[in-house]
Amino acid sequence: MKRRWAPRDRLGSWNVVASALAVGALALLAGFIAVPLLSLIVWTVDKQAWQAMVSPVATHALLLSAKTTAVSMVTLIVVGTPAAYILARGGFRGKRMLNTLMDIPVVLPPSAAGIALLLVFGRMGILGEQLQLLGISLTFTTAAVVLAELFVATPFYVRQAVTGFSKVDREIEEAAMVDGGSRADTFFRITLPLASPALVAGAITAWARALGEFGATIIFAGNFPGITQTVPLAIYSALESNFDAAVALSVLVLGFAFTIILAVRYLTRKITEYQD
Amino acid sequence: MGLRRGRVLVRSLLLLALLSLTVGLAGCSGAPGSGSTETTGGGQTSGGTVTVLAAASLTDAFKELTTTFEEQNPNAKVSTSFGASSALLAQIQQGAPADVFASADEAKMNTAVQDSLVNTPQIFARNRPVVIVPKSNPADIHELRDLAKPGSKLVLEQDGVPIAEYSKQILNKANSQYGADFEQQVMNNVVSREADVRASANRVALGDADATFVYITDVTPDIADQVEVIEIPKDLNVIATYPIATLKQATNPELAQKWVDLVLSDEGQGVLEKYGFERSA
Repeated sequence: MKRRWAPRDRLGSWNVVASALAVGALALLAGFIAVPLLSLIVWTVDKQAWQAMVSPVATHALLLSAKTTAVSMVTLIVVGTPAAYILARGGFRGKRMLNTLMDIPVVLPPSAAGIALLLVFGRMGILGEQLQLLGISLTFTTAAVVLAELFVATPFYVRQAVTGFSKVDREIEEAAMVDGGSRADTFFRITLPLASPALVAGAITAWARALGEFGATIIFAGNFPGITQTVPLAIYSALESNFDAAVALSVLVLGFAFTIILAVRYLTRKITEYQD
Repeated sequence: MGLRRGRVLVRSLLLLALLSLTVGLAGCSGAPGSGSTETTGGGQTSGGTVTVLAAASLTDAFKELTTTFEEQNPNAKVSTSFGASSALLAQIQQGAPADVFASADEAKMNTAVQDSLVNTPQIFARNRPVVIVPKSNPADIHELRDLAKPGSKLVLEQDGVPIAEYSKQILNKANSQYGADFEQQVMNNVVSREADVRASANRVALGDADATFVYITDVTPDIADQVEVIEIPKDLNVIATYPIATLKQATNPELAQKWVDLVLSDEGQGVLEKYGFERSA
């Protein structure tokens, strides 16, 4: 700490040391992330594990993951967008508490989320018991996978959407309404387009989170190929019986993740360029 | 103003890093089966740690034996890791640092022997598969045959988990009595493949699944009042055999052997019997 007030010449050498340390830290982190990822690919090439990617376990899991995340994303966007708008614009008591509530699934271990869902929607659960009377049982169904994904992914979308909506200048909205636009009209024609970069970025990170969901799914929805065994669960199940398949699926997910990140980068840049 | 606030933030960030490091180091007790097997706590004791990988069904019995072992060897610590024998075998194959392997079937142990991972195994216990259903019994299951009732929600462990393999053998045997497609009908009712026998037992105890196969020893006091046990007809049942062996890579071969000796001793066999296992001999 004292070095900050050291004479000039000593300050110079300190700068060099500090820069070297920072570069070292960056290299360490980059290696820490890159080496495991690369080793997935090296293993797949080395063991010729490619064909495991098209094994029935893998294709079932991929199809299920695609299906469930698509449903949860549509649901999340339809329900989450108006909810986020109110959280951003509305002035009401308990807003801060609601904002905090929305953030909890991010820090909650997914396994805890799974148990919580089980206690609500399970057969003995608070709502599950009522649903049972209607002949509906959620555990071990694909619907349960969607619920688990929604639970963990919601904050990622809502949080981004709230930020996006709050950044839209109120005066622009008010001007539009003065010009005779209805409230809904203003929302769809002014607010939504202006907030869209945040919404898109939020939706994509939420989707990625839903795709990676494991703990809540295996506890709440169970693990059965084609019904509840999404890609992360298939990787876990294959670990003991077919290690090659587990690695191959991981590589596949890695490819997805890479594509998602590129897409987010590209989209946000395009949209900001367009707005400027 | 902004700068000052920034400095405060930096300081709290440093403090947070320091705090998590301290907590992390204090809590790092050489995770069983995965991390290092360094002695925990003070580290003054010279006996070291023996790491035991054991079938999930052994959880309660081996926990009691851990206490016995640590009383007999005051300088030693036992670190146990319970899971499906298939999962434990996979860990051993991947080089997990462990000293003893106790499997719920001979198949997993034989693989370990073939891969030269363990020394000569010995049978130390036997166990009886049963069917359990929730107390409320929503699917109205009263005997093995009822598992084929359409719409029943059964859970089974993943392929390779010993109890799942025993269950399939039992169902296959039952085909001769209940009809050739009995096994298939039962398998059609399976809604989830669980990680190990205890996970399946909990599915039934919580009432989310209608039935599953477990060992009689898995009906612990914890779940005994939530489930109903259905015995499998003797002529159809397959008795589970538990082998134990020390690992060739054992970091502490002496303590490992001591653990195996304890399990095979009269005292150890008594504890296993108390938890519902049958003696090996």
